[in-house]
Amino acid sequence: MLNLDVNGRRVTVPKASTLLSAIRAAGFDVPTLCHHEAVEPYGACRLCVVEVRERGRSKTRVVTACNYPARAGLQVETESEAVLETRREVLDLLLARCPGSEVIRGLAAEAGLHRSSFPPDRNRDDCILCGLCVRICEKLGFSAIGMAGRGAHREVAAPLKEAPPDCVGCGSCARVCPTDNISLVDRDGMRSIWGRDFELVRCASCGRAYITREYQASRVEGSGLPAEHFELCDECSRARLAKTMFAHMALGPDAREEASDD
Amino acid sequence: MTKLLTVSPARCIGCRTCEVACAFRHLEDGVPGRSRVQVRAVGRDVWVPLLCLQCEEAACVKACPVFALWRSSTTGAIDVQPERCVRCNACVPACPFGNMSVESADKAVIKCDVCGGDPACARFCPTRALEYIEV
Ligand code: FES
Repeated sequence: MLNLDVNGRRVTVPKASTLLSAIRAAGFDVPTLCHHEAVEPYGACRLCVVEVRERGRSKTRVVTACNYPARAGLQVETESEAVLETRREVLDLLLARCPGSEVIRGLAAEAGLHRSSFPPDRNRDDCILCGLCVRICEKLGFSAIGMAGRGAHREVAAPLKEAPPDCVGCGSCARVCPTDNISLVDRDGMRSIWGRDFELVRCASCGRAYITREYQASRVEGSGLPAEHFELCDECSRARLAKTMFAHMALGPDAREEASDD
Repeated sequence: MTKLLTVSPARCIGCRTCEVACAFRHLEDGVPGRSRVQVRAVGRDVWVPLLCLQCEEAACVKACPVFALWRSSTTGAIDVQPERCVRCNACVPACPFGNMSVESADKAVIKCDVCGGDPACARFCPTRALEYIEV
């Protein structure tokens, strides 16, 4: 364990913690876009900037909290002038890139920015190139999408910019995307994502659709659970449990007493 | 001492106080959450309150591809780590008892967390159909 100060408040965190988790443990928070606990910190969006002073140093530095190690004796400020200024600059750039993104607009407005001081790029989508979708997809073992191109042409895409053959349609990329830029549509028992259409498995009892056939097969294999586990939706599984419990109750009060005694 | 949230359906009168207590205990931004406990009618005047059984060999834990579910060392219940959940929802059909739920597509899955050791459902159940007791 090690001690550090966040906004003057002492906090003790395990070694190998990130600054971000120390800040949260101390009861403070900083905005993040590219951070997700399921994957390694990446430091792409630069929104989580904080000001730090190392032990024994007089100078402070502005660093990204999500991928900076929590060190003993560190003094951290999450709302200092330098932090607010840097965060505003980052948001100014993000706002120019994604003027249509509600998330970015909201964060910018919180920082007092209502329009970017750079010319807005109106031809682009809301991708901030944080790569969270790519990292999550890799973490899940599919690596169906990746980063393509360089510089101004950099983008998230499938190999050869075609519909990704390795995608199983789990939808995690779309749901973790901080700017909601990935389209996922479930309709009539089909899921459309990344230019592909997937058949959704229907609950064996009520017919409700909930997971793609490909992702189901992948989880059956990955979890070691029997395939029957994935055949009913949660509602119908609950109905089955209720019936089982009812059957137990139907044994009569004496049997019930005995059953609850042991 | 381990405590368990026990269900005695024979005592349930179907008042659904537990559902309300649960929803209000899981308030988020002032909005009641989806209840983790659900009362089902299984016959005339017969009800069963259903909630997570905190299985030894839990299917939800196995189904999760990113280890976003694990057993709490303080309560013994299986907790969702919302920051780790990638919303793939594999655990939802995987639970054989239907106790993993989706509250909204862009939020982490939810389940009974025994309210961190003071389950609201048991506290407010008027007939002790739900009890949090030492075993
Ligand atoms: S959250 Fe730290 S850089 Fe994006």
